[in-house]
Amino acid sequence: MTDNKHDRDQVVGNVDITRRTFLHKSLLTGGAVATGSAVGVFQTLSSMEIASAAMSEPFSFAWVSDTHLYPRELNQRFIDKTVRAFSEVQAMGDKFDFMVFGGDLAQLGHPVEIELGAELLQEVTIPKHFIPGEHDWYLDLGESWNKHFGETPWTFDHKGVRIIGVDSVGRAPDYWSARGMSNEERMAHMSGLDGSQAGPWSGLGSEQRQWLSSTLSDWPKDAPVIIFSHTPFYEYFPPWNFWIRDWREVQEILAPWQNVTNIHGHVHQPLYNEIGGMRSIGMLATSWPWPYAPEGVPELTRPMLRVDPGDHFDGVGWGNLAMNAEAHMEVEYMMWREQVFGVGRADSGTGDNVNQKLSPRISDRGWTGD
Amino acid sequence: MQSFKSKGLIAFISALLCVSLAFVFMVNRASAHKVSHDAETLKAFNDAFMEQVILGDELFHGATMEGINMSNTGMACAMCHPFSSDVHPHEYPKFQEQMSEFATLRDMINWCIEKPNEGEIIDPDGEAMKALEAYIYWSNRGSVLDPGRH
Repeated sequence: MTDNKHDRDQVVGNVDITRRTFLHKSLLTGGAVATGSAVGVFQTLSSMEIASAAMSEPFSFAWVSDTHLYPRELNQRFIDKTVRAFSEVQAMGDKFDFMVFGGDLAQLGHPVEIELGAELLQEVTIPKHFIPGEHDWYLDLGESWNKHFGETPWTFDHKGVRIIGVDSVGRAPDYWSARGMSNEERMAHMSGLDGSQAGPWSGLGSEQRQWLSSTLSDWPKDAPVIIFSHTPFYEYFPPWNFWIRDWREVQEILAPWQNVTNIHGHVHQPLYNEIGGMRSIGMLATSWPWPYAPEGVPELTRPMLRVDPGDHFDGVGWGNLAMNAEAHMEVEYMMWREQVFGVGRADSGTGDNVNQKLSPRISDRGWTGD
Repeated sequence: MQSFKSKGLIAFISALLCVSLAFVFMVNRASAHKVSHDAETLKAFNDAFMEQVILGDELFHGATMEGINMSNTGMACAMCHPFSSDVHPHEYPKFQEQMSEFATLRDMINWCIEKPNEGEIIDPDGEAMKALEAYIYWSNRGSVLDPGRH
């Protein structure tokens, strides 16, 4: 088990199958899988299988997140990629019991952006469940989001699995009132990943932690639980809010359950980590890939290949996930390229950063509202 | 006779050039390295640098300035490079795969502006480029100099 460890050098060389994280063997044999997407057949590339104890009735579901839509007239490419993802999900719709949209539908939370997203989401006709991202929230504090997609958290039981969706973005400490920020300024500071004004905005908060505890209280400790969140349930890289600030308290709540899977967005990159009986799995964005955190990645993560910035369909995609009969979670990154993971230092999205040392930005530290 | 006159003219022009250059040289040197640097002077140097870093930071994060248009997609540099990560200024100049040619950091900045951002390339020696360069180097200070590395 890994307890939030990071070791860049180990990660670079850690491309072998590990005890708890390994390539799905049927895919390792090189079989091409038809997705029926708008662009036709493409190879599936990767799949991780995660061990657990309890049995489950198998089912599959899709994950799409981080579309970061601007108004249509400003940015067509993000729309194109969103449409491609939704079309591919819909084309495989018979396979999926539901789709989760994991947040950051919009870029600046504008109702026009959220309405555009809602319009594009109509392509997918299987049941859909939604959790917000910070980009959806901080212009109007969730008003447009909740109007279109309902409130969070939520829970339901599905084929022997307790499924939970939480809001890990909308409970930020108030950084805007004392500074006299307008709604647009609040949103602008929130939308910059490496800004300093919004602070540690990601977290569940005490009320939602209490809800989580209560929701799980009647659930058998060896039965599987899946929790969808926008941000990861561990401390990956706080300066970019690649965490929830109350992850220790959340871990304490989840500790009695033996098979918890946290599926999250926000990081725009494949990630894998384990703490106790919980594993966290980072999913792709459709919009653009973030670089890995400067300090490296959790040691069980297989870093993705660094991508071609000249191809805006590179390094992005969506997720094809399944809970099999052994309550094993299978994750397949539906990335729109032939190779997903780096196999050498020069090709790795984190291994090529051995000489890099970074400093937090400075220009917004003294923001006064001028 | 003719040759003597030419030689004299050349000697006169050369002397004039030497005096002129010496004057220019002395004027330009007058304020540099004549006295020890005190804290105030060093602060002034650093302030001049940090002014460019902050301007570059703002441009990198989506601000604009008169006469430039670095993006037509809503994308800013920092959206792919938070903290200026994965820019690797310490690895330039190098063969740049995307351009299929030997490139400087400034070349790559303009490539990103023109290709992913669909903006308009900026003057490679202009104010915006120097500020972007200042911010990127400042953000990556302490990185190991490794030119040519891919």
